[in-house]
Amino acid sequence: MRSLVDFEEGVEKVLSRLARKAAFADVLLQGGHGVTVRVDSKLFDVSAEPRLQGAVFRLWAGERWIEAASSDLTPTALERCAELLERGLGRVGGPGAAPGSASTVREERATSSARPLSEMAPESLLALAKEARGWGLSQPSIAEAQVRIFRSNDQRLYLNSAGARCLQTIDRAVFVVAPIAMENGKAETEPLVRGGEGGQELFGELTEENVLTAARRSKELLSAKSPPTGEMAVLLDPSVAGLFAHESFGHGTEADQFTRDRSYLKPLLGSEVGPPSLTIVDDGSYPNGWGTLFFDDEGHPGQKTKLVDAGRFTAALHDRETAAAFSTRATGNTRRSDFLSRAYVRMTNTYVEPGELSLDELVAETKNGVILERGTSGIEDPLGGQMQLKVKAGHLIENGKITDLVGSMALSGSVLKFLRAIRGVGVRGEFRIESGFCGKGHGDYIPVGSGGVYLLSQAVVGPA
Amino acid sequence: MSDPWRSGPTAAERVAERLRLEPPWEVFAEEADRYEVYLNGTRVELVRGPIAIEGYGLRLLRPSSGKLATGFQASTNFSDAGIAEVIADAEAVLRHSEFPAAKAELPSGGGGSPSVQISDPKLWEDPARAVEEYVTELSNRFSGRTNVVLSFGAIRTTRVRTSLVNSSGLRRSYEHTLVSRELAIKASGGPEGSPAGEYWVDEGARRLETGSLGSEVDAWCRYAADARRAVAPPTGELAVVLPTTVLSGILPPVVGLRCSGVGRLRNLSPAIDSTIGSENLTIFDDQAYPWAQGSAPFDGEGTSAGRPTVIERGVLRGLLYDSLHAAAFGQRSTGNATRAGLAPREWLRFLHTPSSDVSTLVVPPGSGGSDEELIEQAGDGLWVQQLGWARPDPISGAFGGEIRIGYRIRHGKLAEPVRGGIVGGVAIAPQGAPSLLTRIAAVGARTELSESLASPACLVRPLTVAGN
Repeated sequence: MRSLVDFEEGVEKVLSRLARKAAFADVLLQGGHGVTVRVDSKLFDVSAEPRLQGAVFRLWAGERWIEAASSDLTPTALERCAELLERGLGRVGGPGAAPGSASTVREERATSSARPLSEMAPESLLALAKEARGWGLSQPSIAEAQVRIFRSNDQRLYLNSAGARCLQTIDRAVFVVAPIAMENGKAETEPLVRGGEGGQELFGELTEENVLTAARRSKELLSAKSPPTGEMAVLLDPSVAGLFAHESFGHGTEADQFTRDRSYLKPLLGSEVGPPSLTIVDDGSYPNGWGTLFFDDEGHPGQKTKLVDAGRFTAALHDRETAAAFSTRATGNTRRSDFLSRAYVRMTNTYVEPGELSLDELVAETKNGVILERGTSGIEDPLGGQMQLKVKAGHLIENGKITDLVGSMALSGSVLKFLRAIRGVGVRGEFRIESGFCGKGHGDYIPVGSGGVYLLSQAVVGPA
Repeated sequence: MSDPWRSGPTAAERVAERLRLEPPWEVFAEEADRYEVYLNGTRVELVRGPIAIEGYGLRLLRPSSGKLATGFQASTNFSDAGIAEVIADAEAVLRHSEFPAAKAELPSGGGGSPSVQISDPKLWEDPARAVEEYVTELSNRFSGRTNVVLSFGAIRTTRVRTSLVNSSGLRRSYEHTLVSRELAIKASGGPEGSPAGEYWVDEGARRLETGSLGSEVDAWCRYAADARRAVAPPTGELAVVLPTTVLSGILPPVVGLRCSGVGRLRNLSPAIDSTIGSENLTIFDDQAYPWAQGSAPFDGEGTSAGRPTVIERGVLRGLLYDSLHAAAFGQRSTGNATRAGLAPREWLRFLHTPSSDVSTLVVPPGSGGSDEELIEQAGDGLWVQQLGWARPDPISGAFGGEIRIGYRIRHGKLAEPVRGGIVGGVAIAPQGAPSLLTRIAAVGARTELSESLASPACLVRPLTVAGN
């Protein structure tokens, strides 16, 4: 596979041509590949991730952006992109500078590791997957253990007419071990999932002990009680607190929703939304995070932004256009899924910072309610401010003690009411960040991290 | 279609003619260009297009110690060097793979394929113009309305030429169009002073139709306005009516795993002839359903479209197979080889190796009557117009989601709007255990197409609702 830099000269030529016609032009050259290994008791499958490469050009056309993209990086195809954009410019273009400040950063960054993922041959990944499957299957009642290991290399070269040149190469890996417990036609699994940016050290948590714990939990879920139903005290584990920070709160802080008047949080910027113990952060520079990036897709460096600082909603996430609209600076959150997708304001690694209460203290404070464990998915409601979070399992809390295991459930309610009802934030010892994929509305999936610490509040719970 | 956009040899042919490989092998390719318009209110904020991509996936199959080794690689590089790289990748991964079938036969192209309605002529001929006209019409439908606006819109269209060539002599292609509409309708202001309400549309289709836009916009605006005055539902076991748009988020993913070769291979499928649904429920998979996103003259391996029955009056009658999973059980492919990935990118199927899944599930009309008659039969319960995300767990079969907008049913009539709270349960369960499928008390008479499901609304009695 050719390096993106091999295409730089041709792309730069087209960019210069476009920059002569428009107030601003930029291009993202993007390519990637990787390896996925899937193993279960029936099949071994190693697949090479697609060798995809392409470029997307963007122009400011006076009152709107226009874009064209191509997977064909030959000079003829790139010139065709330019011609079509110039035609589009002729139809709608007018004078006027592009909104906001363009990046002028010129830098090259790459994932650094003493043991790079690229040095891990498919045979080694397969051996690791087979070993993990063996650990899972060693437990009684585990009828099947599915293992998936994925490593990828994402390379992006951003150039713009203001002189920015940002080349970044990011290595990521994730593993999923799903021991499936079966009994009388019923099946349950609680997978072990870990991922991040970095090298082979990312597989450090793929241990026998962790797989056996996942297997035991999967088996226990077969006899889990039905979850409680109705409004009650809820204690979110770090994975669910992270889902809350990302899905329920974070999406409302993406300032492109502010410009559309489509965020329930817009009028609350600067206001107190939660207790002083609550701080929520988005951090594109978080070390080895699954959502970590060196530069966003407008050439701004990844950074840490405190969305909520000691209970006060202090900042939103911005691209250059929304930053201009709100007289602030871009926050390094402009992301494209790949060269085929548009750029949106997106999160990176979003989490709840540690507070002061231990898990025992939070359980005692809950008195009666439920712990929600192992968040699996959530969906945003940027205007309505409602939340939906789904979890794999939980435990009842009765008279200040953790009691019975309960099955999968969902959490619902008003985000603002939930924030105001927060009664406790967990300590650093419980802190962790998990890996997932975020879609904005219809799709455009990107890797994001989410997590934090335990969070105690009040919400509606039901089966799901 | 004679558009010069795609004429001459297909992408699969351009790759296949340069292959010198031991059979069996298969090349699946797509040539796509995409046009998108994004709206901030009714102002255009971004116009994209063409977003042009062409790519192919090469699959190799080799017998290996009584099993089958498969190798797959996809690429957008059509140069000789690019193809050589793809072959090397596929050969390399093939050495590490093992599938439990002695051999699999790829289709040879005997017999015909049905004619399928999957391409919008206007969109095919001039996609940029078709999108622009649609956006103008859409914006017009919102003008003059009081207290309701379009706050965000994305109209995305794609025209695709899909082609397939394999070592058994099959050489096929077809043209099709895809549409996605993502719209946020916001109700605010007015004398009531309550917070703004939103109705979010996220739909896939094959055509850009303006004929029904007026009535659609009317309904969306009504849902957005109703969201402002909605209250939480009650908690309890209730009769719930689920329209097609909600069922389409539950049935296809569950049936696609549990009632397919993939599920059977992992011991997740119920036994054939076991009862897994109510007597009111019959489901088949129609691979040529008009204008459905999953329809095509042939599947992802070249098998001609058919209509396999899955559930008949509640009894599991058959599973859905692609060639490989069929071979693992001595069965024949049912034409259900699908290529899909994480994102809703039906135009990038060349990136994925085939597996078995649904095309379009069809629930034939039942005796439940009109929507009004279903509501009357519910008596006291809920009509759930939109769930946040039902997202069934493929292993446990559990599903559930937050009610984004729904209506209380009182005395057999729709009453006040509801919002918030959770509706959920188990979609499919072992024989003898209750589930969504076994609790379908009535199937309506009016069929609608939504994503991978063509079905009337269904009355489910009861479902667990968590609210106030």
